[in-house]
Amino acid sequence: MSQWLANVIDRASSVNDWLSPVRQEALTRLKSTSWPTRRTEEWRYTSLHALANLTLNEATNSKALAEAPVVSNLNSIDIVFVDGVPATDLTALNLPAGLTIHSLANASEAIQQQASKVFNQVKPDAHLFGLVNDALALQGVFINVAAGVQLEQPIRVVNLVSAGIESHNRVLVNLGANAQATIIEHGAGQGNSMNTAFAEYVIGTEAKLEHYRFALHGEEAIHIGGCHFKMGESSRLNSTIVGYGSQISRIDTDVVHAAEHALAKMNCIYLLGPKEHFDLHSLIEHVVPNGTTEQNARGIVGDKARAVFSGRILIHRDAQKTLAELHNRNLLMSRGAQISTTPALEIYADDVQCAHGATIAEIAEEDLYYLQARGISRKQALIMLNFGFIQELVSQMPNKALAAWLEPLLRERFATMESE
Amino acid sequence: MLSIKNLHASIEGKEILKGLNLNVKPGEVHAIMGPNGAGKSTLGYVLSGREEYEATSGKVEFEQRDLLELEVDERARAGLFLAFQYPVEIPGVSNMEFLKESVSAARKERGQEQLTAAEFLKAARAACEQVNLPVEFLRRGVNEGFSGGEKKRNEIMQMIMLEPTLCILDESDSGLDIDALKVVADGVNSQRDGKRSFIVITHYQRLLDFIQPDFVHILADGKIAKSGGPELAKEVEASGYAWLENHEEANA
Repeated sequence: MSQWLANVIDRASSVNDWLSPVRQEALTRLKSTSWPTRRTEEWRYTSLHALANLTLNEATNSKALAEAPVVSNLNSIDIVFVDGVPATDLTALNLPAGLTIHSLANASEAIQQQASKVFNQVKPDAHLFGLVNDALALQGVFINVAAGVQLEQPIRVVNLVSAGIESHNRVLVNLGANAQATIIEHGAGQGNSMNTAFAEYVIGTEAKLEHYRFALHGEEAIHIGGCHFKMGESSRLNSTIVGYGSQISRIDTDVVHAAEHALAKMNCIYLLGPKEHFDLHSLIEHVVPNGTTEQNARGIVGDKARAVFSGRILIHRDAQKTLAELHNRNLLMSRGAQISTTPALEIYADDVQCAHGATIAEIAEEDLYYLQARGISRKQALIMLNFGFIQELVSQMPNKALAAWLEPLLRERFATMESE
Repeated sequence: MLSIKNLHASIEGKEILKGLNLNVKPGEVHAIMGPNGAGKSTLGYVLSGREEYEATSGKVEFEQRDLLELEVDERARAGLFLAFQYPVEIPGVSNMEFLKESVSAARKERGQEQLTAAEFLKAARAACEQVNLPVEFLRRGVNEGFSGGEKKRNEIMQMIMLEPTLCILDESDSGLDIDALKVVADGVNSQRDGKRSFIVITHYQRLLDFIQPDFVHILADGKIAKSGGPELAKEVEASGYAWLENHEEANA
């Protein structure tokens, strides 16, 4: 066990709130968990060395009410946390009918009951840092969208972190039958912070969730989190995860097709500079027949950065007629850049259509020629095509305001990588 | 403006052009016809500078410059435009970004001031309308999901935007129905200003009903086998290319 984890257990033992029974379970598991090393499969390519002996403070109140990053024309309902401390008065929000947002910290008994149907019902308990989050996330929100309610306004949970602070928070979302919502988990901040952020989504029958997760932390940050989805019958999920690298940046995204005819489209984009590290683990489980999954992860890795992608699609014996595709493509910009990718299909049903693959991308000479034949220099054409490789996924984001906001940020980041 | 002398070119060591001569003066429209495999497309690729197409001997002068010495993008900026028979799809680069970059490069080369964003958008919209492409196409990836006809019209749209001095149309009529063909021809005709020159490569005479050439050349086995006026195209229409074999035998 690391010093850091010993501290976590120590701190968590004194927590006393309505989630205490769940926290105790997590603590029991944590106590018997060994600290991951390079020999631990789940952490083979991501070293936790930087965290092992880290001691940071937890924030007690939100000192600086940092402003949430502005996204033009997004017009979202914002819920802001600064270093894990709520900076938004949830009771003062003007919410459309059918939408309720409650703090986990002071939930009424009725809300506790509702939230319990999501808390730890989706996230697999195999994630070490998920358990840490179970034990220590005192703050978080429970978002409930009533059956049949189609929200036009996106909901954005902003999670700002700052130097020297450790924080943990949780997002729980229940999307009723036939409901429709856009939810954005927006993490950002500079400095040597440590943050865990886990989100769980229960997507009801025929409900539609448009989901975004931005892990746009600075290069010194340690950010570990996950987003976990349980798909109801004929439900739809369109998820986009965007990551910059950090000292450690690790996201686990898991989908369970718990009922038939659900469709999950998962895109992931990463763009890593100097010594950044980004690790995306994903497990998509088809438990029942007739589910569809399309996963596309694409990244550009520059300088001495390292990307890790581990994607597994697990198709159980009964999950006949599953359609599943998993693709990971990478562009390495320098000799020092690294990618470790392991896409895997595990299939126990015999009537399924699946494809998977991982590639190190190369720019097609034909594309280069076409751009050059229009007077664009080879150098500029290469920049356009390299960036185009991830821009293709940005342009697939259904929310155009988010896409318009993200594109120049990524371009700027890419431009600095180019000049290195 | 363009003078090709005894041009030989090969791809992967196989000689395709075998001593081609052609002179194009400002404002002229030259049609190049010929059977499949005669080297029509090769001529377009060699002139544009495509890497796999190697000019092994001969001379090509374009606007007083040695064309074969220039890179692909330099040739384009010098005013040479090739409308592709099979334009590629590039999903991650939007038509808008692509056009902006290329127009900006062309204007810089010509010493013209750059267009403002508003001026550019106005010009791009007008060009879209002219070739009957929805303006929304500008936001899509380059040729992404375009039909064959839309790709051809997109080529003409780019030609209108870039204002080249020499346009080479490589089978811009292939796969088009008569309405799309007219749109392409109208686009081309709108750019005929007495100075801009055209090389229209086509298998069929059909396109030349709409784009009236000044000269027609028949390309066979890597050489110009016969040159003439527009009436030559009619001849081909009437008798096909079978006569070429006799012609070659007679030459032999």
